[in-house]
Amino acid sequence: MKLYSLSVLHKGATKSNLLKAAYDLSSFSFFQRSSVQEFMTFTSALIVERSGLGSRASVKEQDYLCHVYVRNDSLGAVVIADSEYPSRVCFTLLDKVLDDFSRQVDPIDWPSGSPTTIQFTALDAYLAKYQNPREADAMTKVQAELDETKIILHNTMESLLERGEKLDDLVQKSEHLGNQSKAFYKTARKQNSCCEVM
Amino acid sequence: MNTRRRHGPRSNEDGVYLGPSLTQPQLLQQAEAPVPTSLPLAPPVDAGRGSCRDRTTEFQSVCRSLQSRQNGIPTSKPALSAVRQRSDFTLFAKRIGRNLSNTFAKLEKLTMLAKRKSLFDDKATEIDELTYIVKQDINSLNKQIAQLQELVRSRGGQNGRHLQTHSNTVVVSLQSKLAAMSNDFKSVLEVRTENLKEQHSRREQFSQAPAHYAPNSAHNFNAGNSLLMQDESKQPGDVSIDMDFRASQQMQLVNEQNSYIQSRADTMQNIETTIVELGSIFQQLAHMVKEQEETVQRIDANVEDTSFNVEAAHTEILKYFQSVSANRWLLIKIFLILIIFFIVFTVFLA
Repeated sequence: MKLYSLSVLHKGATKSNLLKAAYDLSSFSFFQRSSVQEFMTFTSALIVERSGLGSRASVKEQDYLCHVYVRNDSLGAVVIADSEYPSRVCFTLLDKVLDDFSRQVDPIDWPSGSPTTIQFTALDAYLAKYQNPREADAMTKVQAELDETKIILHNTMESLLERGEKLDDLVQKSEHLGNQSKAFYKTARKQNSCCEVM
Repeated sequence: MNTRRRHGPRSNEDGVYLGPSLTQPQLLQQAEAPVPTSLPLAPPVDAGRGSCRDRTTEFQSVCRSLQSRQNGIPTSKPALSAVRQRSDFTLFAKRIGRNLSNTFAKLEKLTMLAKRKSLFDDKATEIDELTYIVKQDINSLNKQIAQLQELVRSRGGQNGRHLQTHSNTVVVSLQSKLAAMSNDFKSVLEVRTENLKEQHSRREQFSQAPAHYAPNSAHNFNAGNSLLMQDESKQPGDVSIDMDFRASQQMQLVNEQNSYIQSRADTMQNIETTIVELGSIFQQLAHMVKEQEETVQRIDANVEDTSFNVEAAHTEILKYFQSVSANRWLLIKIFLILIIFFIVFTVFLA
């Protein structure tokens, strides 16, 4: 499960304007990287142009999925991921990125910005962090931990049952031992009292 | 005997009529008829209530004898109007009491609803309606009790001292019940706001941006469609984008919004179920461990028995050993003495 790119765009009246982008192209060969990056930028811009305000969408393209979220204030974000990545986590990521972005960058810069003028460094960090959806998304993490705990508890129950069996075994053995020791004691006492000879 | 007069008619030592009983107002209204009828009225209160003796008939005869002893009709009228005033008061008080108990029941239901703590299945509308109804009831009860108090005060001059204190006590008890109920209501509202705050914080914990949920799909896919038509012509040729836009775009947009929110809701519900299951597993674990503790105690007892027995047997054997080893000395001594005697005998006899 990988994320390939994460970009923030501003959706203008006629076309959309790339504000900032982060790419993770390590899985492509060195010579393809620049063209792939161009392609991703273009796709993101196109998708944002075609999405309405306040909508979320997922577009399937070859074997990649592009998730887009355009807010009501014309700020949009696109993440391009492979087909295994859970879409819910993508949308959570988009929400977070847009929140952060709108807090850090002035709305005045939005319509006219470009990647060189906008100062927003967290995009790379987000992309790196969300490469592993399990750890990044709170809900997925909680669910994974809960499942783990449940498995551990099942194992505990099994070992508890085994312990029960062993305890039963021990009870029987200790009863047997007790009986034998009692017989021993009786024999010893008999020996003492019965024959006073020699 | 005045011992069992809780709901019977009140009278002082001489049996003079002072005031009506709370449970028999209709009876007294029927007793207005100045015609001396000889005990025709069966008391509407069931005589089967075994804890009080029914002395209605005696009371009526006493009334009538008193009335005939006094000036007759002119003074019976003010007495009758006093009776009517008293019965008004009691009717009013009864009505207020009944309303109070109804409102209490509603408040209990509200308490139960407000205590629910799950994130889903929150009956907010019901709770709000019920809150509104209970508030209205409390207000109206307040007004009614104020009216009752006015009534009591206005008729203060005409009644006897005991009657006055009785009315005041009734009003005060109704007021205190109403105060208790409004306190309960306030605490229920506080509990409800706490739960709402908790829910909100839990929701925020699991979804980082709770404000962006509103799906306004109808507006969106129309705009999307029109943009689509415009952009179709402008598509450049060298980049092949395999996107299936036409018919599925509409469905996709609507479904995407709903499915995102739906999937989050499902996940949350999943998490909640899992946590509940975990709780029950822990409980079962605790139960099983407790059961096994009994077994462990049995083992402990058995082993202690064994060790005790072995100790005792060891002691016995030690004793035996000592006796055996001690015995040998005695045996040797005895033999020695015997041999000496034998030698002495043979020496002496030979």
